[in-house]
Amino acid sequence: MKIKLNGKEREAMPGESILELCKRENVPIPTFCYHQAFGGQGACRMCMVEVREEGQKEARLAAACTYLLNREAEVITESDRIQRIRRTIVMLLKRRAAGDPILKELADAYAAPDLEAVVTEPENCILCGLCIHACEEMGKSAIWSMFRGIDKRIATPYDEASDDCIGCAACARICPTHAISMEEKDSKRIIWNKSFELVACRRCGKEYATREEIEYLKERSDYGQENLCESCRKKTLAITVKNYI
Amino acid sequence: MDMIIKAHDDRQTILVCCGTGCTANGARDVFNALQSKLKDHPDIEVLPVVKATGCNGWCEKGPLVRIIPRDITYCSVKAQDADEIVDKTLLEGILIKRLLYRDPVSKEHLASHHLTDFYRKQHKIALRNIGEIDPAQISDYLEREGYQALKKALQKMDSQEVIDTVKAAGLRGRGGGGFPAGNKWQACRNASGQEKYIICNGDEGDPGAFMDRSIMEGDPHTVIEGMILGAYAVGASHGYIYVRDEYDLAVQNLGQAIKDAHSHGYLGNRIMDSDFSFDIELVRGGGAFVCGEETALMASIEGRTGEPRDKYVYPTEKGLWGKPTVINNVETWANIPVIILHGAEAFAAVGTENSKGTKVFSLVGKVVNTGLVEVPMGTTLREIIYEIGGGVLKKRSFKAVQTGGPSGGCIPASLLDLPVDFDSLTEAGSMMGSGGLIVMDDHTCMVEVARYYVNFLAGESCGKCTPCREGIRALLEILTDICNGQGRMEDLQLMEDICLTMQEASLCALGRTAPNPVLSTLRYFRDEYIEHIKNHYCPAGVCRELTTFYIDPEKCTGCTLCVKQCSADAIKGEKKQVHTINESECIRCGECYRVCAFDAVQLGRRDHHEN
Repeated sequence: MKIKLNGKEREAMPGESILELCKRENVPIPTFCYHQAFGGQGACRMCMVEVREEGQKEARLAAACTYLLNREAEVITESDRIQRIRRTIVMLLKRRAAGDPILKELADAYAAPDLEAVVTEPENCILCGLCIHACEEMGKSAIWSMFRGIDKRIATPYDEASDDCIGCAACARICPTHAISMEEKDSKRIIWNKSFELVACRRCGKEYATREEIEYLKERSDYGQENLCESCRKKTLAITVKNYI
Repeated sequence: MDMIIKAHDDRQTILVCCGTGCTANGARDVFNALQSKLKDHPDIEVLPVVKATGCNGWCEKGPLVRIIPRDITYCSVKAQDADEIVDKTLLEGILIKRLLYRDPVSKEHLASHHLTDFYRKQHKIALRNIGEIDPAQISDYLEREGYQALKKALQKMDSQEVIDTVKAAGLRGRGGGGFPAGNKWQACRNASGQEKYIICNGDEGDPGAFMDRSIMEGDPHTVIEGMILGAYAVGASHGYIYVRDEYDLAVQNLGQAIKDAHSHGYLGNRIMDSDFSFDIELVRGGGAFVCGEETALMASIEGRTGEPRDKYVYPTEKGLWGKPTVINNVETWANIPVIILHGAEAFAAVGTENSKGTKVFSLVGKVVNTGLVEVPMGTTLREIIYEIGGGVLKKRSFKAVQTGGPSGGCIPASLLDLPVDFDSLTEAGSMMGSGGLIVMDDHTCMVEVARYYVNFLAGESCGKCTPCREGIRALLEILTDICNGQGRMEDLQLMEDICLTMQEASLCALGRTAPNPVLSTLRYFRDEYIEHIKNHYCPAGVCRELTTFYIDPEKCTGCTLCVKQCSADAIKGEKKQVHTINESECIRCGECYRVCAFDAVQLGRRDHHEN
């Protein structure tokens, strides 16, 4: 399927999003809420582009991450209009994460005016929703957005330690603005108001996961049976393979 | 003094309005009192009828009681009036004057609501049965052409003919978007897949709007019949009615109606002995305004968080559970049986070139007759507000009318002659929305109005996308600053920039229209913003931080009305003596300003006085 991407003819796969096409073609589009593991959410609206499908008179604005290409189309990823939208979005998001280097860099790049900071909870959270998706993919859904409108925030139910949370920290690791606080000391990890015992790798002794996470993984798969950290697991696997050969 | 009317008929029916408004005012007590009084008179039958709340603007005065076939309407009826109504009116044929409506202009007592301007100038299609039938009795609906359209469609039309009729009628979605219903149905019919769904959107959430509630409460079968016809047209076998959780009576009446439609063979397997089967399920919403947005509504039915998604693929292709779905609003469905039964031409004969039929408006605010008003598309705002609505309350001057719910806009007096339809309102910077019309007088501060609506949206946006959530937050901060006298001129430009991005980049229609209250007031009432910012003055005397009140000694007659109204005891003055306001005690609620009949209470500038 032919797509005219910024004036150049490109081949897109049917059902592919504009963003995926752009990533493949190395056309840069800024995003906050997109992750290749989950696809687009259409939440941050940074990836707005102009698209005109075959038969349409005028180009329309669309979020590149959720717009799926099913027909020949013309796509423009940079224009005054797009620039203006991204500037406003960066201006509005930077208020939530004033100290974050990524937003600072984008604010400079788009010459976004400075507005007074907004105190968010967790601090620096831009509500991209990636943490929710990561937790959901883990099969736990221990965190979700609560409230709506300008009071919306990410939390465990009633802000209490969640029975579902296994302390895997997938949420904290995926967070683009490092907003989810996680403390590790004395063989304990504290995250989302809950304390977890950290388990050491039986080979190298590095604390690599929480007891709950390991138990959960054992339940779901063979992974985690050996109590090995990521790199030791690879090493032992390599040794096994080598011995086999 | 009572007037003699013609001798009574042998069989009479009393209709007691039991809509939400009248029920709140004691309609059930009236109903019970009439019923027990009538136990001795088996020749008279009492029927409780749910009538559209506020439909004639009389609900505020209490329960309405109608007596047919003589067509008598009594307002503000109390349980203790039951004896008199039965003894005098029913048995002796005497009208009880004090219970009749008195026309504010002619001062005449009118025997029936049908004689009032408010009612005479309306054209009822969607509301045709409201107040005329008992919604709990399917027989009432059947007597008024009920399920005749379904019979006609199943026996004489194929599904494409049904769609063609809706297309030819030019019916556009009454929920706000105004998308042609026939085209939507066609797209769903053409979509591949065996499983398709029909949804009725009854999640009416606009403050002050209650047209959908009235229809669901007062005429549930018309909604059901419309949906069955839609299902037949697109090939759906299952439907949902999504009702706002607060609408208890609507849920009750719809539930009863679904049950009755089943037992009469209008729902379920092989409807009316045809090959077509269809069923309807009721779903109660969770109370979020955003669930009126169709993709959020479907997410809610599916049990997910009520957040919208991008609609680059329409619900007619991928809707509920990923299947092709037609979703229309209550009022849209209510029009369908009429269109199918009486044909497209009759429907299209009413309205404007691009907006056919009628629209129900809920006329509220500073207007004499509040209530539900159904008028042909293209009726001017002036006709609605002045001829039907009876003009602005207390003869104050008209300032603006807010249309289309919280994300609608404010239309000024200069556009009162605008013929109202989907396109004209959008061009004027507002929108049809679900049909709210809130009349504002000169005591309304337009900056505060914008702030009020943005504040509503701040709590009701789903908060998923950046432009809507953060844009609303920024607008609310700026508007609050302006109302508090801390606005800056450059804020106006900033607001316009933010509004533009919200319109262009928001995920759903809520975010895209959320700037309307700000943009429309900036467009038509910019001077007022500038007064607030530059002169720290609120011309309407609403913004407390910018307002003081004083009494003009020349005009004050010493009537003491303001003294009685002042909750802060800040006004001093004896009868027939000039009053004074103690500024340090005054909480600036503006009550004195509003009640003074002699314009003696005047607005002062806060700065001016402080200096």
